Amino acid sequence: MAGLGRNEGDADLEPTLARVLQVGTYVSIGLVLVGTVLLLAGGISPLAASPPLQVDRLVPDVLAARPAGFLWLGILGICATPALRVVSAAIGFWRRGEQRMVAVALLILVVVAAGVITGLLTG
Amino acid sequence: MEVGLLMLAGGVAAGAFGSILGLGGGILIVPLLTLVFGLPLREAVAVSLVCVIVTSSASAGVYLERRQANLRLGMVLELFTAAGAIVGGAVAFLIDERLLAGLFALLLVYVAATMAGGLRRPTSPEPITDDETPPPSPAPEPVALRQADMDYRVDRLPLAAAGSIGAGIASALLGIGGGLIKVPLMHLVLGVPLRIATATSNLMIGITASASAIVYLMRGGIDAYVAGPTAVGVFVGASLGSRLGHRIGQRALRLLFVVVLLYTAFEMARRATGLG
Repeated sequence: MAGLGRNEGDADLEPTLARVLQVGTYVSIGLVLVGTVLLLAGGISPLAASPPLQVDRLVPDVLAARPAGFLWLGILGICATPALRVVSAAIGFWRRGEQRMVAVALLILVVVAAGVITGLLTG
Repeated sequence: MEVGLLMLAGGVAAGAFGSILGLGGGILIVPLLTLVFGLPLREAVAVSLVCVIVTSSASAGVYLERRQANLRLGMVLELFTAAGAIVGGAVAFLIDERLLAGLFALLLVYVAATMAGGLRRPTSPEPITDDETPPPSPAPEPVALRQADMDYRVDRLPLAAAGSIGAGIASALLGIGGGLIKVPLMHLVLGVPLRIATATSNLMIGITASASAIVYLMRGGIDAYVAGPTAVGVFVGASLGSRLGHRIGQRALRLLFVVVLLYTAFEMARRATGLG
């Protein structure tokens, strides 16, 4: 496969991807920080098993200021941030008509989705 | 509350020292959670992966801004690291924790030996590390620009792809970024300059670790109460470390860490043999 050297054409795409990573990280770690403060303020030991992730409980837990809601939302954000970078890259390459890199990005997302399925099937 | 604050402080220390020494957070977080807080190894690995994503995403953003990472090469190789990570994430639940502890002990010995080797050299310009934190100095832009329009040794891409799968499996099994494998792979096999290989490895770590973290998450392997304080601590510590690193004498610190890593390897080996 040719064309894997640095490409100066990526100069317009890279700042966008950097922004996606930085915003995603700061928002996610902010949520985790709120959850951690609530956890410590509530006198809950981190060694006490946390409630499992239940997607339908996220919003009620956040609204009720329960630490688990913020923590799980933040952890989901952390896990999703790199995938968001790949989605953004796919959009950027698609706009430039670089079908091969779009295909690479989509394949990465398929692999990540396979991780979700693997976890669900083996869990 | 005390345990939570201790975990937070431990995360800060792991993040700061990992950043200063150019080690990935996972090398320090997994032993911290298992040997200090008594968590099962698999749970510590899962939490470590979350922390690794946080630090790598933050630093990959910086590397992209500085135009040091090779986006295209990173995306092609992360396809394989992510695939390896899913395999590793699934395998991690099938193998005995004592085997995992043994593998981790070997990893620690390898890192300690690499670090000790670096101490013997008068100057180590560009150590091969599992670093997730970019150096605090301004971007060495000319290095990136010199690589413009250059194609690496893409004839060896199949070998790099196979190695990337191995890096992904190691990352998922041991809760590390996998830069210890990916950086030499890109540098030695594909001929990518070391600085760009390090930055590109950082870019790849996020998707690699998130692919395996998702497997752990779906299997209920991540404890949010442990992940919260640890991740916040590591994030703060890595940020501090990247700012303070250049002001701290590295040699004595590295020497101390060789001892710490070897002791930790000994403790992990005791776990592996059922004596710990």
